[in-house]
Formats: sequence, structure tokens, C-alpha cells
Amino acid sequence: MSGPQAGSEKLRVVGARVRKVDGRELVTGQARFAADLRFPRMLHGYARRAGVPAGRLLEVDPQPALALPGVAAVLLARDIPGPNLMGILPPYDQPLLASTEVRYEGESLALVVAESREAARRGAAAVRARIEPWEPILTVEQALSPESRKIHPGGNVTFSRKLIKGDAARAFAEAEVVVENTYQTSFQEHAYLEPEAVVAVPGGDGRITVHASCQSPFHLRGHIASNLAVPAANVRVVQAYTGGSFGGKDDVAAEIGALAAIAAVRLGRPVMIAHDREESIIGSNLRHASSIRYRTAARRDGTLLAREARILLDGGAYASESPFVTMKALIHAAGPYRVPHVFVECTTVYTNKTYCGAFRGFGVPQVTFASESQMDELARKLGLDPLELRRRNALRPGEGTATGQVFAQSVGIGQTIERIAQRAGPRPAGQAGEGGPRPTGRAGAAKDRASQGRYLYGRGVACLLQGISNGAEGIDVVGASVQVAQDGSVLIGVGLTELGQGSRTVYAQVAAEALGIDVGRITVRQVDTDAVHDSGPTVASRSTTVGGLAVLKAAREVAGSLRSMAGRMLRCPPEAVRLEEGFAAVEAHPQARIPLSEVATAAYWSGLPLMHLVFSRAPDASFDHETHQGDIYIAYNFGTHLMDVEVDRWTGRVRVLRHLAAHDVGRVVNPLGLEGQVEGGSLMGFAMAHLERIDTEGGHIRNANFADYAVPSILDRLPTETLAVEEPSPAGPFGAKGAGEPPVAGAAAAFANAVADAVASVTGRRFTRLPITRADIAAALAKEDENG
Amino acid sequence: MLLEFTCNGKPVRLEAEGSMRALDLLRDLLGLTGTKEGCGRGECGACTILLDGSPVNACLLFAAKLQGRTVLTVEGLASLGRDGDGKAGAPAGEAGGASLHPLQVAFLEEGAVQCGYCTPGMLLSAKALLDRIPRPASAEIEEALSGNLCRCTGYAKIVKAVLRAAEAMAGPRSASSSADARGHGAGGGR
Repeated sequence: MSGPQAGSEKLRVVGARVRKVDGRELVTGQARFAADLRFPRMLHGYARRAGVPAGRLLEVDPQPALALPGVAAVLLARDIPGPNLMGILPPYDQPLLASTEVRYEGESLALVVAESREAARRGAAAVRARIEPWEPILTVEQALSPESRKIHPGGNVTFSRKLIKGDAARAFAEAEVVVENTYQTSFQEHAYLEPEAVVAVPGGDGRITVHASCQSPFHLRGHIASNLAVPAANVRVVQAYTGGSFGGKDDVAAEIGALAAIAAVRLGRPVMIAHDREESIIGSNLRHASSIRYRTAARRDGTLLAREARILLDGGAYASESPFVTMKALIHAAGPYRVPHVFVECTTVYTNKTYCGAFRGFGVPQVTFASESQMDELARKLGLDPLELRRRNALRPGEGTATGQVFAQSVGIGQTIERIAQRAGPRPAGQAGEGGPRPTGRAGAAKDRASQGRYLYGRGVACLLQGISNGAEGIDVVGASVQVAQDGSVLIGVGLTELGQGSRTVYAQVAAEALGIDVGRITVRQVDTDAVHDSGPTVASRSTTVGGLAVLKAAREVAGSLRSMAGRMLRCPPEAVRLEEGFAAVEAHPQARIPLSEVATAAYWSGLPLMHLVFSRAPDASFDHETHQGDIYIAYNFGTHLMDVEVDRWTGRVRVLRHLAAHDVGRVVNPLGLEGQVEGGSLMGFAMAHLERIDTEGGHIRNANFADYAVPSILDRLPTETLAVEEPSPAGPFGAKGAGEPPVAGAAAAFANAVADAVASVTGRRFTRLPITRADIAAALAKEDENG
Repeated sequence: MLLEFTCNGKPVRLEAEGSMRALDLLRDLLGLTGTKEGCGRGECGACTILLDGSPVNACLLFAAKLQGRTVLTVEGLASLGRDGDGKAGAPAGEAGGASLHPLQVAFLEEGAVQCGYCTPGMLLSAKALLDRIPRPASAEIEEALSGNLCRCTGYAKIVKAVLRAAEAMAGPRSASSSADARGHGAGGGR
């Protein structure tokens, strides 16, 4: 192990079960989320939306709204001082308010600003819009047809790329065994409990402050400034407590942040925009629906020879993060395996539906479902145990990924497989009424018996990898500041946001470790763009890794100042000073120690710097853009999930009897936080595979509420057991790698394989489309009973 | 209309539209923004308050219905002011949160809070349960919390937190209690 951060030193705080440093304000109701903020003379904004999926916008008439009591103003596209555009990658393609064309039903046409939210809502309903409707483009096939109308001037392909490693075509021609199938996944909604909200407050000094529920405050700042046509330095974005994001509060936060700011500046009064649930579902991005043609070539012993995937993503009306999702899907499609020949093509297209973008996993859950379904189909064809097939092909240190990138360490996929194998126990089996798995030595026979009865049992495994941090998505820098006050308390600022994932706690732990103080002496501030360095977006499971490393470096700088001062006070060289338990002590004489508060006070009066701003810059990605061969990520999280299920033949109801989730996270910083990420992410993946699907009809979302869109409740929770594998990575603090996204893909794919295992013994077929709903299962089994 | 009711132990007397939502009255007129709006249709439970001890969705309740009743919101759950829990980030297991309700402490200690937006409603539904059934089984917790959605935690830690609070509220007793500890999501493994 190399590098100062990947040591094997005894750690005190890193690795401990530390409760959330920002938890107290959340359990007492004191934390202020954006919609909780109140300012004198505050107005409320509410958007008039198109309500039709496609058409020419002929006229928007604000007069009927302006005539209503309480309505202060109606903003139209022409009232936007700047370019009226937003997006992730230039050239931006998404307007804040539509001016000429409607591309999806949630398109905002006007913003009504009024004295109350209710008045704004009534005003929005009164705005008259004349739209000449067009036949909406609703499918990927339709979008790609040469005769189709162009949704954007450049055509209907949002982004398309290829990954080429070796010569897949030749490998397929010579292969002993080939499996091939087409898989589909559906649109999924983030469904964070807090709908999007912002408040823009004009200052008297020409500046404007926007308090926002958001994921990437600097992204907001840029879009607010450009659309207001003011310098970015005059815009301050303060992240309010944010009630979940999962990738979702980026574009939409920029959209409403900019609209609120424009209205606030125009009217000279604070303006709040708080979405209701329907707007949150229809008017902000979803997870891409996908269709994946996949084939795999192998030797008879199961050795993978080649994999080929042709991925089509439905990206909806605007690009958002689609280019990066396209690349991430492409790069991860071949799985965490040693595959000499890989060909992947991924294309995202525009349709007249709600736009798709970042959502926890970022393209990886879709391709992992396809890849891991293929692995099971291959195992079945070869008569191999599914876990054994994966074990034989698992990537090892020193071997190339699908992009040819070689990691010398922290490639823990094999260890996650072994942990699962050790922990798995006997396959599930049982009879009706027994309500659970029963150990049996003769699994096959027991299964045959079970299949005669009401319940079917299945076991599914899935392996995955998830690239950590920005990688191919561009520059990867985080700035962190650590300052120590004269009383020895510590304030940390990082340019990445806390969204519930626990990053503030991780930063406090990392700094506490470096400074030898209690976590309780540390405050990690919320992101304020005035006060922290632009650290890019809070995405890609990068907070712990790149953010944590920045905090560690800054804390070590501050520790250096304290050691210098303590050395003078203790009459020893600074290197001989240890910081521990809130004291500075001489290594050789631990009883000679001074409270850190005294050291900090003395350091202040001696003019030593007590605040440091330090950057953590990950190595740049370097790869060939035609083939995606090269070094793309600083690390991968590797994982293996196992799920045992019981399927009720009569009703299609599935009960998850066991769920094991093993992830190589490099180093566990906070077991409590890690379990939280794995349990929550797994349920989200399970929901993607079994419960959730945004249903559209004619370009309209039919289930834009929690009665019809099945967010899992406590009744659906999984018996998740988190198994941490620690293969330290030099990319993160103390060897840590991120863990926020990877469980989604693992749980989704393992569920699909478990259900396939249970049901295939009756139907002989797999389900190839997610979600596999209870109705799908019941229908397939009923059909079989009819035939049989 | 003139409304009189008890809120978080204190008498409240104010003039308000009886047809406004109790949620808006609490948040906008009383400044109690701990009660959250998640869906406005009674589907998510984020706005759960206790009305005479029973959980209700404040988004579906007319303000007039508060007349003469007793309301508890998350702000009333802890005896704030006598703050003995300065150690928000204290390692789990350490004594802390002396002035917090045992449910609040348990939610922190078990990691049952992530973004925290569902937490106020979840805490109040759990409190109503524990008031009714001091040592609930997992199935009873499930039933009591099935109207409160959480998108972050996966729920397992919430079940554990409620069991832990029940244990704490029952007083110092042997660990092998009547509480059904088979709550899903053993977690814990490293």
C-alpha cells in the first residue's frame, strides 16, 4: 500500500459508528429546508405548464392571470435577461420558459408570481396558452426514424458513443457458446420526500442570494448568473437542508433557482418556488428507460471471451446529463469481469417525454441488469453454478477493465464473491405455510417438491462495478477549508453537498482523525458559494473519496500549524508532537500535554495560519474518445449481491427472504453510514426491479403521485445484510471509496435473477423487462398453469 | 374563525380561516415548520401530527378541526431549551441527547435518519404507536409506520430505532425482552 492516506495506522474515529453530525436538527424539526424559510414580503411563484407533449407555442397571454387578486407579475420567456437556456454540457438545449416550441408536457411556459402560493397557482391556471399540437414522438424507434420530426435542430440523437476493445466480432464467430437476449428497463422517479424548492432574496447591494434544495450549488450559480445576465460573483447560492436528491435536484433546481432569481430582481422582493408532488414528478428528470440488445461469448468452461451490447436510452425532451449517462452505461456494460473483447454502442435519443438525467447509479443499473441476466443465462446453458461462473471471470488486480484500465490494488470483486459464498447458506426451499427458507442438503429435490406447491423459491446473484467520481466526465477537483478557532473548535467547508448521505459526518470524522479531536468539536457548514471553492457537482459517489481527501489534506495543514506551535511550547521538534484526545502531547512523554485550545490561542497570537484551503485533484482521465480505451476512473466500487425469494404462484407476490450485499468500499469510514447507503440504495434498486415504473400514455405521465407510483413502504423493506470488503484505494482518505450509488444496480439485478430462478422452473423463461411486477409474475404463471 | 387549541403543551388562540389546511396553519401562522409537506394528498405521511394522541395527515385536515383539540408536532417532542445534547456527532452508544425524546435519540443512534425530511412524521407515528403499545412487535411497527414513506433509509434502521426506543422507555431491563427483535435488515455486519 502506498500513499500517505492509505496507511494501516490505528484509526480512532475513522471506522467508528458515528451518528450524523447534522442529525439533531433533523429529529427536532429545527433544520430549515428551503420551503421552511420565511422572508418579509416574500412572494410565491408557480409555473404554467404546457400540458401537451409537443407543439408550436403560438401565444402565451398573461392578462387573465394578471387580473386576479394577489398576482404580482407573470414572467414569460421574453422577460428573461439572459439566454433562457440551461443544461449540463454546452450547447445548452433547455429553456427556462418555452418561447416557440413545446417539447414535453411539463414544459414551463410562464411563471406567475403572487402574494400566496394559492394565488400563484390560480394565476398559473388562468394564463392562456395557444399551442398548435404536433404528433408527439414517443418511442426511441420513432425518434430514430429518418422521416421523424426533429425535436431539436441537431436531430433526435442526443449522444452516441462506442467502446471497442479487441475484436468482438471475430471472437463471437469463433466462440463455443453464445447467449443473446434483449432487455428493457423503465423510467424511474427519484421520489425524494422533499419536493424541489428555492427562495431568491434580492440584496440591497446588487447581489442576489438563492437558498435552494439542491445538489450542485455552483451549477445553480452559473445558470442563475447567465440567465439574469449578471456576473456570477453577484450570485450567492446557499444550500438549504436538502430532503434527498439521488441525482435529481440539479437541472430542476437550476431552472427554478434562475426563475425565482429573475422574478425577485424584477420585483425587488423575495420569491419562493416550491414544487408540489405532481410537478416534481412531471417537471424534473427521470431515470432513462433502456432497451439493450446483449450477447456474450464464452468457452465451455465459462471463460468469457467477448461481450457485445447495443444500448438505446430514451432521454426524453432535453439532454440534461444524458451524454455522461451514455458514457457511463457504455463503460460499465461488460461488468466487473475479465473480458478480452468488448463492443458496446450506446445511443440516447430525444423523445417528447419528461427529460431524463442523473439518477443514483447513472446508467449502471440498467446495463448491470442486462449483463447479469446474461451471466445467468450463460450459467444455465453451461450447467454451471451462477456464483462459480462469476468467480471464474472476476477481474483481478493487474488485469484490464473493459476500457483497458489496470488497477494494481483495490479490485475487490473476487473478495465480495467469496464473502457472499461464505455467508449465503443453503438455497431457499420450503412448503406452503412454512414461511421461510429451510435448510436442505438436497436442494434440487426439495425445489422440485416445492414447485408442486403454492410457493416457488429462487436465488439470484449479481456482480457489479461502479466508477467512482467524475472520471470521463471532466475535471475532478474538490476544495476544502479547515479552520481552527482559538478555543480549539473546528469549522470545515467543502464544496460538495450533504443530501442525507452523511458526507458531513464523514468529513468531520476524517478531520477529527487528523486533528486528534472529538467529532463533537467539529462543525461542517452547509455549502455557500460565497464561502467554499467551486468543487463541481456532488455526483458519482465522489464525496467520501475526493471530498474526503481534500478535507484530510486541509486538516493536516492545520495540524501542521498546531504542531509547530505546540513544539515551541513543549520545547520539542514539531514532528515529535502528537495530536490526540484534544491535546498536543510529546511523543516520548505523553503526560506532558497541552489542551488544543491553548495551542490554538497561542498559535493565533504567534501569527500562525489557522485556516487552510486545500485542493484534492484526482488524476485526469485519459482515454481514446472513439473507443473509450484508457484510464477513466480513479477507482471502482465492486459489489456482489445475493437475494433469496419466495414467489407465490397464485398471486405473483414475491417475498425477499434474504439479501446479502457485499461491496468493496476500500475502507469503511462510518459503518452506520455505509449500512444506510447500502440498505437505502438496495431498496431503490429493488423498487426499480419490482415496483416502480413511470407510466406514460400519449406523452402524458399517468401516475404522477404516490398513490399510483409505487414508492416502497416499510412493508416492502429488505432484510439487507451489509458485508464490507476493505481493499484500500489510494484515491480516497485512509483508502476509502464511495458507496452511494452501487447498491442500486446490485439489488435490481439480483432480484431479477432470483425471480428468474424461481419462475423459470415452471415457465422455462426469464423476464427480460424491469420492473418485473407482481402482475407480470402472476400472469406468466397463470398462463403456464393454463397450458400445463 | 377564532381557534383555540393546545399545541405542544401550550394554549394557542388565534384568528384563522377554518378552511385552511392545518398544515399551513402550523407552518405559516405558528412558524412550526418541522411539519413537512411531501405530497399534499395524504399519501406520504411527512406532515403527520398527533391530534389528541392519534396520528393524522395535517395536509388533509381543515384548521377548524383543531378547535379544542390537543396537537403535538415534532417541535414538541423534545423539551428544547434544556439542551443537554451538545454532542450531535458523538459516537453511537455514547450517552447524549438527555433532553431528547427516546425516539429521537434512538433514530440518531440507529442511523434511522438520512435526509431527515420524513423524520418528523415518522417520529410522531412511532410515538403514537409506543403510547398505545409500549413494546410493539415488528409487525405492529410496520402497520403503524406504513403510511410514512422514507426514500433514503430502506426502513430497516427505522424499525430498529423504534424497538430501541421502546426498550429505553420501558426502563432498565434485561435485553431479552418481549420485544420482537426479528426486525428485518440485521445490518450490522462488517
